[in-house]
Amino acid sequence: MNLRTLIVLRRLSQTAFVLLFLVLFVQARLSSDTMVDYSLTLENAQPFTIRSPVDFFFRIDPLLRLTTLLAGKLWLAGIGWAIGLMAMTAILGRVFCGFICPFGTIHHAASLGIRSNCDAAIPPRSRLIKYAFLAAILVSGILGLELAGILDPLCLLFRSLALSIFPGIGLMLKSAFDAMAASDIKWINLASYAAEMIISPIFGYGYPAYQTGGLIGLLFLALVWLNRFSPRFWCRVLCPLGALLGLIGRYTRLVLLTDEARCNACGLCQSRCPSAARSGKTPASWNPSECLYCLTCMNVCPQEAISLRVAQAGAPPKFAPTRRAMLSGMVAGLFLPAVGRVDGRLFAASDPALIRPPGSLDEIDFLAVCARCGLCMKVCPTNAINPAWGEAGLAGFWTPVIIPKQGYCELSCTLCSQLCPTGAIRPITPEEKKTKPIRIGSASIDRGRCLPWSGNGPCIVCEEVCPTSPKAIVFDTVDTTGADGEPLKLKLPKIRLQHCVGCGICENKCPISGSAAVHVIAAGETRNPRHGLLL
Amino acid sequence: MPLNEPISRRQMLFRLGGLAAASPLSALLQTAWAGSPNMLVDASGPETNCDIGRLTEKLIAAAGGMGRYVAKGDVVVIKPNVSWARAPQYGATTHPEVVRAVVRMCFDAGAKTVRIADHTIHDARQCFIVTGIGQIARETGAELVFPASSLMREMNLHGHRLDMWPVFTPIVEADKRINIPVAKVHSISRLTLGMKNWIGGVGGRRNALHQDIHQSITDLAHFFKPDLTIIDATRIMIENGPSGGNLSDVLIKNRLILSDDPVAADAYAASQLFQIVPQEIGYIRLAEKWGMGTTDLTRLTLQKVTL
Ligand code: SF4
Ligand code: SF4
Repeated sequence: MNLRTLIVLRRLSQTAFVLLFLVLFVQARLSSDTMVDYSLTLENAQPFTIRSPVDFFFRIDPLLRLTTLLAGKLWLAGIGWAIGLMAMTAILGRVFCGFICPFGTIHHAASLGIRSNCDAAIPPRSRLIKYAFLAAILVSGILGLELAGILDPLCLLFRSLALSIFPGIGLMLKSAFDAMAASDIKWINLASYAAEMIISPIFGYGYPAYQTGGLIGLLFLALVWLNRFSPRFWCRVLCPLGALLGLIGRYTRLVLLTDEARCNACGLCQSRCPSAARSGKTPASWNPSECLYCLTCMNVCPQEAISLRVAQAGAPPKFAPTRRAMLSGMVAGLFLPAVGRVDGRLFAASDPALIRPPGSLDEIDFLAVCARCGLCMKVCPTNAINPAWGEAGLAGFWTPVIIPKQGYCELSCTLCSQLCPTGAIRPITPEEKKTKPIRIGSASIDRGRCLPWSGNGPCIVCEEVCPTSPKAIVFDTVDTTGADGEPLKLKLPKIRLQHCVGCGICENKCPISGSAAVHVIAAGETRNPRHGLLL
Repeated sequence: MPLNEPISRRQMLFRLGGLAAASPLSALLQTAWAGSPNMLVDASGPETNCDIGRLTEKLIAAAGGMGRYVAKGDVVVIKPNVSWARAPQYGATTHPEVVRAVVRMCFDAGAKTVRIADHTIHDARQCFIVTGIGQIARETGAELVFPASSLMREMNLHGHRLDMWPVFTPIVEADKRINIPVAKVHSISRLTLGMKNWIGGVGGRRNALHQDIHQSITDLAHFFKPDLTIIDATRIMIENGPSGGNLSDVLIKNRLILSDDPVAADAYAASQLFQIVPQEIGYIRLAEKWGMGTTDLTRLTLQKVTL
């Protein structure tokens, strides 16, 4: 194949996969036109589901597979894709990076027009960093802390788009709609509704917002910005998935052959290769572990000496990562789980705010597999699930926690558990949630702030919204004197802990804004029997 | 009663879309002018295998047919109660078959557009899916209006307690309003019937309304003033209201109550379905006091029909 065709092919493939990523990304939501035949919900047999394979890119990711396997969890669904991807890499090298990876494509696009001498911009040795990251991730995976998702490109991309970039754009659009909705002109009002209905399926219904969203977005933008400094910086220096694929693809049959007769050793291929896959000016210097198959070298070679061939590579290339890089990564991998746990949260009482989504595994197992990909957070229709800041300790940074003030867990919903790709949230049914029940925490009333208890007037919103039957919130009607001294008949709420599931809707709807007068904490959750409250 | 309220908006709407704005005031005047006594219909079906769609048709037929309330080219808004993401059999939400029949009859009477709108308590998408209302909208061709923030608009409710408040605009801007609540017990207002259903017509800090629930309900009911109230008592929730969640909270009644007097509808439902003296319920008492209707059922023509 000649160069032109190859480049067209690459662009087509990159575009197709970015589009696929975006389509699946957008579909990871409870759509407003989801339909369940209500005569079927009569038997409560049908929970609502998302039919598209929105977890596709997580399923094909060999790094996630490997780390969950190391954590002792066999994750079989869709394993064929991951195996296929590895087999492809073994034969064809890192074509995934050049042709498929949507994050790689974003970097590729962001690098367009940059003609720097890559090796001068960053020392070629910096490419070893990604192998150190890989080693650290694998070792800490064995020790029970899944870190892959923090730097895995597919998780990172999904998380950044879902928790920061898209909601951010949504918020900007919202201010425009609010202005339109406030207008006195009828058709502008209607247009604002129509626009909102078109846009909310894409940018999020009800304008979701996420804790640490700003940080996630800044990290993403910084990584993209680095391309202006050295093209595909991320792929060359940081990407642990690239490192893994590089190791698997060492003996690739798809080689970039240089015609020695034509090569005049101008060195252009070396200086323009974004991935330091060419360590010297000579044709033999091509390193298959580093090559992204971006075809830049082919494209820039003035002699047209380089071609892509299926062939036996020459002498097996030197093992890409140095021993030093691997060792330092492994040492980091040994320490990180300890660093993450030294606060003792994992083994002592958990943080009161560490409310995990229903179906979450016990904390130790949870941290061993949760990839922090953000799928559960994006898909939660009430915006309840957020990336953790300090709630789960250092080790659990960005893992999912429920913030009741922001959203409650709907009793009939099991979307997060259906979609969690790694099984950190195991599949549950609405029936199980309701009748077993699966508790995620428990509520308590702050009598000082509660309107009736403090004598400031009637309320009892919490009792109204409590979804369990019988209700976990009941009230006593008493004749009392209010805070002003006037006689009042008030309904005073109490929690019946044996019925409370910790869904958090009481805290969510309590009119005492800021800090609600009814508060849900993780204690009482069923995923760890030691956290139970009642005998 | 303040007279200053809807005039300017009304004029503006006439100018801008030829839309006839049925403001609360004009609706009130219409009923006053109509002269004939208000209507009260009580339809009941067999205990088992009741065809709720046909029961609804029978109810409307007894009330003189939908053509009496809906004119050709009208924009009709139906306000069911779909506050909770609960399957219909739990009695927490309006029965989808009642809504289906009403939508169909509105179209048959020549309605241009029928909208189904509710500002739900649970997430609206989940509510519309689970209650079956979303499915009905799709199957009948009614428009399902989501409580989007772009549809909430500050308006003066001119209530005794509530003044400026974000209102769910499609409900006020329709030509005809049909309120289809479900009959349930409620912890603080005792019963949720027709007038209480208007809490789903506003946005804003609705959780603060409980602090003066009866006056708030009265103010909202006064503002929204439906053309027709149909109380869904096909099954009623007698325990754990208003959210329920257990079949043992629910009684099958297969009954529907219709009136063009919102106070009478609630009063009749309270006494007939729950054996509660209407005046004991704060908002019914207040609504009667402010002249929004009557609890004296002898002043209405009562018809009972059975299927
Ligand atoms: S947290 Fe609750 S409401 Fe949110 S996705 Fe999970 S099950 Fe659904
Ligand atoms: S958290 Fe609140 S609303 Fe949820 S079950 Fe417990 S008491 Fe009820």
